[in-house]
Amino acid sequence: MLKIKIALIGLLITGSQHLIAQSKTIQGVVTDPSGFPLPGASINVEGTQNSASTDFDGKYSLKGVNPTDKITFSYVGLISQTITPGQRSSINVTLVLSTQNLSEVVVAYGTQKRTKVTGAISTVSSKDIAAVPITNAESALQGRAAGVTVVNGAPGSNPTVTIRGLATMGNSAPLYVIDGVLTSNLSGLSPNDIESISVLKDASTTALYGSKAFNGVIVVTTKKGKKGAGQLTFGTYIGGQEITKRYSVLNTQQYLQYAKDLGSDLTARAAEFGNTSTNWQDQIFQTGLMQDYNLSFSSGTEKSTSRYSAEYLKQVGAVINTGFERYSFRANNTQDIGKLKVGSNIGVSFSTINPERSAGGRTLLEHAIKMAPYFPVYNEENLGGYQGPSAVDGNDAENPVRVANLGYQKINNLSLIGNIYAELEILKGLKFRSQVSLDYFTSKDHTFVPSYQDGSYHKQAFSTTAETNSQGQTIVFDNSLNYKTTIAGKHNLEVLGVITKIDGKSQSLVAGSRYNISDEIDQLRYNEGNLGSANYEEKNIGYIVRINYDYNDKYLLAVSGRRDASSRFGSNNRWGNFYSVALGWNIAKESFMENSVFSTLKLRASTGTTGNDRIENYQYSSTLIANYNYPIGGANAPGVSLGVAANPNLKWESKLDRNIGVDFGFLEERITGSFEYFNNKSSDILFAVPLPASVGSAGGGTQIQNIADVKVSGYEISLGYNDRKGDFTWSAVANLGTSKNEVVSLAPGVTSVLGGPVPRAGLENFSRLEVGQPLFYFYGYQTNGIYQNQAEVDAVFGPGQTAVKPGDIRIIDRDGNKIINSGDKTNIGNPYPDFTYGLNLNAAYKNFDFNCFISGVQGNDIYNANTFDLQGMNRLFNASTDVLDRAVVVNGTVTNPSASLPRAQGADINWSSANQRYIEDGSYTRLKNIAIGYTLSGDAFKTYFSKVRFYLSGQNLITITKYTGLDPEIARADANANSAGIDLGRYPQPKSIIFGLDVTF
Amino acid sequence: MRKIKYILTVLSGVLALTSCDTSELELSNPNTLSPDTFFKTKDQVQSAVNASYANLQTRGLYGRNFSFAMDLMSQETLGNPQLEGNKKPFQDFSFNAGNDIIQYYWESCYIGISRANFVLDNEAKINALTELVLPQEQKNKFLGEAHFLRAYYYFLLVKRFGDLPIYKTNNIIGNARSPKAEVYALIEEDLVFASQNLLARGVETAGRATKEAAYAYLGKVLLYQKKYDQALTAFNNVTGFSLEDKGSFYNNFMEETEHGKESIFEIEFDAKNGTGDQWGSQGDSGGTGFEEATLRGQEYGNLSWYNVYPSDDLLDSYETGDNRFGDTFYLPGSPYLEGKKVMVASNFTTSAGIRRAGWKKYQNYYIREDEALRSSINFKVMRYADVLLMKAECENQRDGGSQTAAIAYIKQVRDRANLTTNIAPTKEAVFAAIVHERKVELAGEQSRFDDIIRWGIAGTELQGTGFTAGKSELWPIPNRETSSNPNIKPSDNNPGY
Repeated sequence: MLKIKIALIGLLITGSQHLIAQSKTIQGVVTDPSGFPLPGASINVEGTQNSASTDFDGKYSLKGVNPTDKITFSYVGLISQTITPGQRSSINVTLVLSTQNLSEVVVAYGTQKRTKVTGAISTVSSKDIAAVPITNAESALQGRAAGVTVVNGAPGSNPTVTIRGLATMGNSAPLYVIDGVLTSNLSGLSPNDIESISVLKDASTTALYGSKAFNGVIVVTTKKGKKGAGQLTFGTYIGGQEITKRYSVLNTQQYLQYAKDLGSDLTARAAEFGNTSTNWQDQIFQTGLMQDYNLSFSSGTEKSTSRYSAEYLKQVGAVINTGFERYSFRANNTQDIGKLKVGSNIGVSFSTINPERSAGGRTLLEHAIKMAPYFPVYNEENLGGYQGPSAVDGNDAENPVRVANLGYQKINNLSLIGNIYAELEILKGLKFRSQVSLDYFTSKDHTFVPSYQDGSYHKQAFSTTAETNSQGQTIVFDNSLNYKTTIAGKHNLEVLGVITKIDGKSQSLVAGSRYNISDEIDQLRYNEGNLGSANYEEKNIGYIVRINYDYNDKYLLAVSGRRDASSRFGSNNRWGNFYSVALGWNIAKESFMENSVFSTLKLRASTGTTGNDRIENYQYSSTLIANYNYPIGGANAPGVSLGVAANPNLKWESKLDRNIGVDFGFLEERITGSFEYFNNKSSDILFAVPLPASVGSAGGGTQIQNIADVKVSGYEISLGYNDRKGDFTWSAVANLGTSKNEVVSLAPGVTSVLGGPVPRAGLENFSRLEVGQPLFYFYGYQTNGIYQNQAEVDAVFGPGQTAVKPGDIRIIDRDGNKIINSGDKTNIGNPYPDFTYGLNLNAAYKNFDFNCFISGVQGNDIYNANTFDLQGMNRLFNASTDVLDRAVVVNGTVTNPSASLPRAQGADINWSSANQRYIEDGSYTRLKNIAIGYTLSGDAFKTYFSKVRFYLSGQNLITITKYTGLDPEIARADANANSAGIDLGRYPQPKSIIFGLDVTF
Repeated sequence: MRKIKYILTVLSGVLALTSCDTSELELSNPNTLSPDTFFKTKDQVQSAVNASYANLQTRGLYGRNFSFAMDLMSQETLGNPQLEGNKKPFQDFSFNAGNDIIQYYWESCYIGISRANFVLDNEAKINALTELVLPQEQKNKFLGEAHFLRAYYYFLLVKRFGDLPIYKTNNIIGNARSPKAEVYALIEEDLVFASQNLLARGVETAGRATKEAAYAYLGKVLLYQKKYDQALTAFNNVTGFSLEDKGSFYNNFMEETEHGKESIFEIEFDAKNGTGDQWGSQGDSGGTGFEEATLRGQEYGNLSWYNVYPSDDLLDSYETGDNRFGDTFYLPGSPYLEGKKVMVASNFTTSAGIRRAGWKKYQNYYIREDEALRSSINFKVMRYADVLLMKAECENQRDGGSQTAAIAYIKQVRDRANLTTNIAPTKEAVFAAIVHERKVELAGEQSRFDDIIRWGIAGTELQGTGFTAGKSELWPIPNRETSSNPNIKPSDNNPGY
């Protein structure tokens, strides 16, 4: 390591020898299109270190300019301009907004000019974020950043974000970096505080984060104070949201007939409840009110800037007793003390989540579908006040309103994300920076359920209280040296060296108790309970070097390397090396292109590697589990036995990225766009491989192994157009991304792996891993209609078998062995879309502004687990009205051959979870947002406000899809790859209408 | 040069702060014990043995599913409409290799085996402990318990699946199936070891395997292999037991009378130690946590979930005057709740009509009004009445056996039931008497299906139920195994699956 350091110092010293000839001074003002001065804009003579920045009136003064020099004026979020001064000594510049290309792009450990970027980066600006009222910052990426998919869940839950498709089998979430602080989600961040988001998609941009960058990196920069007079802004919105779609289920009359056909006469029972007909879905969905208030104050002097902000968000869910409330605060400061810059960015948030509750491992929606319609919701005579089934009903679904409303579950989170840094300019162009970052959280998940008795099935004679307390902190200590120079006026060189040390700790305490005496106390007590705690620790060390070189802005080269060590691997495989190389060619800057239509034309190519250590801690060492108990002699006899099967040979999961791209702009950047192609290969993917059940707990069921190699490839296209005609300006930005993955190889001895969530605990897994197939494709039985008579059954199985009868689903006996078994399973669906897309339209006319944003996915399959309840008919539950069209069998023959569903309570295999009947086309196009705004004008306002804007917007108002589930944008069970595309009936995305107000004082 | 020095100073400071000290990356798991340092004390050895017992309580076994599967297949009980979809196929033999009850049964047994193997794999460590830490007799009895439990689990498996992958020591590579005979050989070997090393009843704490339990199971395993003489020898070592008194048959099924004079081995439950994560997946086959109650009472009970009811065929099998009838079933008019209440017809109402009876064996209604708190009643999986009837079978079947001696054993059981015994001393008549007596004595005790299979009469006894001879005698190896064990493919499954 020391050799590298010395070499670095050598480089720094040679670079600093250059001096620049001086001639005259240029002055002027830099403004935005509306004439407001832009403080802090940078002015730079190309190819030199000669630069200046504007003061808080937008004024600048730049010494030593030659008449033939090219002066670049730039400002974050606006299109840079390059001007040759000639004989002028005063130049005023107006910088205009770019549609998509921010001139400065935030990259790993710094920023880079868009023209010098050689990797694949998508950016989203604060303007895009402000266009749609969102409650979590991740949602700003949906449909806006090509190749990024975002799926939302219940209020307060973290969305699932995937960049360039799945390349791993464990946690597929990207790394988030907020002002240099590494974190795992953006939940504590107010979207109003975001200045820009950069999505780093290829190794040349992500390799600097080495072992953390496997799934891509999302770099968020928060808004900083701006030089100039203090500015106070206030924003608010209020709105309602609702889930409007329902599954069509049987009403009481239909249900009674259906039950009779299944052998249960419930006419008298229904009469006991006055033959009511409760629509249970209407009972669990509601109109939820959302409100948000945010306030920020920004100010700055020549030497310092600061920005303070606060936000209050309250979201009442569209499902009963769900919601999210968050207070977030942020303070960002910078201070210049001569050559030393110090600063801090600190955000704190407090939130309370009321999650969607469930009982018996079943979602509210599942209970609502299955609950008999003749029950009333409430019954004052029952303990707890709700009505539920008894054995006489022959249906044991739970009252979903009681599940949701009786007692409570509250998750209180505190999150603190911040950094403090100091940056010293040691020599001209040489900066040393030291930064300490902290990501700290506490979380308290408290559940209280008082005693109740709905009927003979669902009752609890005591109250229960459960609490999980967790706390964690990650401290990152970064020290870096950055040297930037220009040699001979044309060789631009930037060298960065970083040493980073990551120290993570987390702990949890889980406790539960029951109380037989009373429902009045919702706190833990030692009556009958359990208690447990755990501590985890994780450490990383990384060394990072990056060299960026370009010749006259035309020929670009970027090289980086990172050497990382992780405590998650044994000493034999602890270190990993990651590198990247990228090349770029700014063709538009060539002299032969001078008169072409292209204002931008750049080719770029990159390759490199990243790693992944995202597995549980301590997997390389063997453990024992001490949680087995058996009562002997009237007392508990505690048991200890083998736990996790250790794998001492675990090593890094690594990924080779290859990316080529072209950026273009025509007609003075009125049309801009880019095209990317990527072809990545992940190797030694870590996965908890299910061990044969017969080896017992020798392996705890699974063992983490470096199991698979996977290929992921695809392309991304972004196109933007913007135009202005008098008072009318408009822009359109479209993007489209594809990604296709395929398992290339599996570890020796492994031919396939089954996994993933199932509609019910205990049902068969159907997400499969196999060479030549996509990751976790759906694997199960193919179906072909319904057996109409005994002759058809016998033709397949021969005479004498009784498991399959007329009226059952004809499952294709693929291997022709006259038995339906797992040998007949095949690929029945692919959860990944062929492509995802977004279209963003913006227009403004005088005081009106308009935004319309459409996003969609095409070509994916969804496993609709709700179909299991709606059409399964394996026993008596309420069901879809589709069951009215089930096969009716009389004397061994189906009497209604057109029936769409098999006979009720048919063969076991009819409702096997690995079955094509649950697979549907999941493509959709959704109007994510439509908004119209009006900005007040007139001098009367100008006295008090600099800007007042009202807007009205609607989200998810129109969805075009063939999917029969409540929402094709399905909330994932978890971030694991094998839960992709499985709709377990979790929180559907609501429609919402919002009215908002933004004021700048 | 000063600047360079300055830079070097800063750099060395940085390097010191983020030093290359990789020993910091050497972390050990603070939350768990390590196998390397285990088996050092008596408590540690005992806890490793306890862990294998804990798996008897899983929902895959006696915690829930086992009784359903066995009693439905034998048609002793039938499902009411609310019987869950994964249990229903056992009534008509339509289950397939994807059935979770079969999967949990398989997993529960094999996890129990691996926990027993964890003890046996460390035999050298255990034997290396000093006499002061653990006397030899204690070492032997702990190893004996591990051998007993391994045999118990393999016996549960071999009856349901036939040929099995055998693991005599733990490893994580799946083995191929070995012939049934090899499995039985291992079971016999284990039980012989257990019978020689376990402590006797009265010396050992109630609830742990005893010498007598080992002999009773050794006899049963030999009987299943039709080794009647050897079986009888083993059974003859089961001494010191007697039947509960006439009129006290129900002592075998209550909480307060556990480990009585008739009881040889029990599966223990005790809800006061915790009822765990009621429906979570933890208890399906892993046996973790405090899941110390069984769901049987709640699910069978006619005042509770009433998922199953006694079949007419079983009810009609009892002779007039058999006092076991009233101890096995509740009917309208039966007293309950310490005699304070009486069952009425509406207590037997289901959505499919009114049933004749409900189960009384293993129900808590004798002291409680419902089963909401789940049951602490132990399963008496080996009781002396069973041994007597098995001895009768050995005498009747063995070469040179005595039908008179067999009838004498049967008579003991019938006397207790308040019935006269009048059996012709022929092999056929004695066999028929044993078939009948086991059906009524052991009704609802997961015995009948195994009996009619080993007697080869299932095809006739279960005619019209969906039972397919040549297929339904065995369960399929679950898909969970064939999809994860490269040495057992779907095509290696049992015939018909």
